[in-house]
Amino acid sequence: MVLVTLYPLLWVLTISFSGGQSLALAALPPQPTKLDLLRAVIPWPQALSAENYVSVFRDQPFARWLLNSIVISAATTVLGVFLACTAAYAFSRFRFPGRRTGMMSFLVSQMFPGTLMLIPLYIIIVQWLGLGSSRLGLVLVYATTAIPFCVWMLKGYFDTIPKELEEAAVMEGAGPARIFWTVVLPLARPAIAITALFSFMTAWNEFIVAATFMDKEDMYTAPVGLRFFVGGFSQSWGYFAAGSVVVSIPVVFLFLYLQKYLVSGLTAGSVKG
Amino acid sequence: MTDPAPHAARFHAGLGAGLALALALAWAWLAAATAGGTEVRERKDALAAVHALSIKVEAAGADESAAAAAVTAWQKAQPERTVARVVLVNGARLVASTDPADTGDAAAPRRLRLDEKDLFDRAKRLRGIAEENKQEVEKTPEEDVTRREDGVWQVAIPIHQGGSVVGAVDVARPAARPAAVAGAAPGTGARALAALLALALPLLAFAPARRLRGTWAPAAVAVGLFAVGFGSYAAWAARATGGAAEGASPLSASAVLGLALLALVGSGLAARGFHALWRNRVAYAYTLPAMVGMVILVFFPFFYGIVISFTGQTIFNVNQPLSDIWVGFTHYKDILGDVAILKRAGDGSLALNYGNFYWTLVFTIVWTVTNVTIGVSVGLVLALALNVKGLALRPIYRVLLILPWAMPNYITALIWKGMFHRQFGVVNYALMLMGLEPISWFDQPFTSFLTALATNGWLSFPFMMVVSLGALQSIPADLYEAARVDGATRWQQFRSITLPSLKPALVPAIILSVVWTFNMFNIIFLVTAGEPGGATEILITQAYKYAFQQYRYGYAAAYSTVIFALLLVYGVFQNRVTHATEGI
Repeated sequence: MVLVTLYPLLWVLTISFSGGQSLALAALPPQPTKLDLLRAVIPWPQALSAENYVSVFRDQPFARWLLNSIVISAATTVLGVFLACTAAYAFSRFRFPGRRTGMMSFLVSQMFPGTLMLIPLYIIIVQWLGLGSSRLGLVLVYATTAIPFCVWMLKGYFDTIPKELEEAAVMEGAGPARIFWTVVLPLARPAIAITALFSFMTAWNEFIVAATFMDKEDMYTAPVGLRFFVGGFSQSWGYFAAGSVVVSIPVVFLFLYLQKYLVSGLTAGSVKG
Repeated sequence: MTDPAPHAARFHAGLGAGLALALALAWAWLAAATAGGTEVRERKDALAAVHALSIKVEAAGADESAAAAAVTAWQKAQPERTVARVVLVNGARLVASTDPADTGDAAAPRRLRLDEKDLFDRAKRLRGIAEENKQEVEKTPEEDVTRREDGVWQVAIPIHQGGSVVGAVDVARPAARPAAVAGAAPGTGARALAALLALALPLLAFAPARRLRGTWAPAAVAVGLFAVGFGSYAAWAARATGGAAEGASPLSASAVLGLALLALVGSGLAARGFHALWRNRVAYAYTLPAMVGMVILVFFPFFYGIVISFTGQTIFNVNQPLSDIWVGFTHYKDILGDVAILKRAGDGSLALNYGNFYWTLVFTIVWTVTNVTIGVSVGLVLALALNVKGLALRPIYRVLLILPWAMPNYITALIWKGMFHRQFGVVNYALMLMGLEPISWFDQPFTSFLTALATNGWLSFPFMMVVSLGALQSIPADLYEAARVDGATRWQQFRSITLPSLKPALVPAIILSVVWTFNMFNIIFLVTAGEPGGATEILITQAYKYAFQQYRYGYAAAYSTVIFALLLVYGVFQNRVTHATEGI
């Protein structure tokens, strides 16, 4: 089972180190014998070469796409987490008319199917605001779609911070803004870090919105670019494999580090869909 | 405040007043609208009848007796008291007449009398219009229609002979049916709708009103809502019965009235709202940025999407006002009303219609059920295997088995698409190695489905495995020991200890993964792309294709709204099961 699990990963690694663009692991003679076939399914390159990794950065605009992805994901994280922090703090600490409605509306918004949102968002962002093929457009969309999840995660954590700490700060004469910035946020640092990493990862891995909004080739994000290598008439499997490895490694490690929070967050009450 | 009774009394009083007002207004407007509608219909009726006569008279040509015979014959099919006359401009002749007065000395054909000058004038005027129409691009209707005080329609239509107008058919015709019967035109359906609205609006008014204790505001809100609701309904009814022009004035009156009422209440509410806003200003200030973002880029687009689902919006008319391209429920009718999953192909054989909504729905359900089943069973088996005591290298296995989940799923999808390649894919090489024929995976619906299933199965089992493993490890070991002491077999232990302990963790995980799989856009879009011929499209990829490959935004929005409705039903059901939103 472990082998079955790993095979596709070894496959993509093999192709990335094969130095060519073919998606076959080994070239077959016209009348392949069993041995040839066996060779063709073993995930080990015929000739080990890092050529694809060099070439994808040197000959292809992959570095540019990677930069787009980094900028967009980072901006999304900063914007989304900041907005989510303030909202989650209010939801956790204050009792005000509309609080329950607000929280429920965040939750319900997670149920809107992507395509239902995609059509009006496309009309608004691309056709009204003219933000097609722009990083800002994607950042706005990603940040707002990340807010509900972040708010719910952070609210849960804020609820666990004892209120006495803030009351003590009030006694010392601190105003609400000061309490928020100097007492609550530093205490919530672990939760904020995890939330930030999640929204980074979500933006980093997002494919369909980016594919729909980004028309110009030099504004592609990494996912759209990778698809570009092997979609349509292009069959550059070597570039795709090398690019995939580069894109995946950071998120895979991030994910392995974060997954215990994700599982507890998802199953303990969240109904994210 | 302490005693809810006065508030309730006032609320019900307001509701009652609103109901009475609304019913009165609705009655008046409906009457106006239906009267307008009746008139339009009668006019059309009369015109059609006279046109039929004019055609017969024209066919008679110069033969005056034939024309007179045609008039007599036509008269028989008309309502009583209909009077038809045929007038020739040249010579001011009355060719035929069914007027009871035109008998004996006055019988047609004869020259027109001086007191019949209005007949002659009408005919001449129609000839003038016809002459003008020959020059103009914008034609004036060649007809003269008036409704007399006694409900009789006076219609005149020119008679063409050899390219020019020689005279007119002049008819005085009472409405075909008594006005009282015609007045019932909106029918029971419309009236039932009015009653339903009357029931629904108080409920609508009640929802916000509950919070505003101790004021007259709820009552006034109820009244205002009624006024607006019934104004719109009256306008709708007026349009439906054809009396658009006549319905417009009650509409504006109702809208003004309703808005004025709402504004009155609104100003009071605004003061209260401002007070509440000021008291909680810190909290609102904190939520404001996120809320603004959500409203602009999540909630507004959501409702805008629903609105455009009622329009025929495409990429070519995005800048037109929505009211110009409004199509109502047409898209929904097209999507949900088309039940022809099987259709006849060109050669007469029955074939599956892959574009049909219900085919896609069934496929999506099959896709979801099979994927979740595979995910749960593989994940559970692996979790049980990993949970064996003293397993060497367990953390390493665990990390390796989670890798598929950690990979970005679009990369996974593209990898598997490559592995299922017809000519160079390793899957076909492996088949050949086992002595089997290579398969064109994306040429058959079933094999195409298998590729997507393999891909999604591969990336979805780790989630189930992690969840089950967590639950397994939290089962206290002494439970098993106790069972062993009682002589339970391993299977019995699994049935009565392991499975029940897994349930609280697995049920939410399954619910979650159902929604994920249902909406698993990337796998279908990137692996099968719906091949062959849209057979392996799931609902969400289908909606995407309508929107961004055919550019039918309105239709795609309707499609997505249907998907949302399905998910909403599922969400309500899931909420029942997990009570996830309790205790906020």
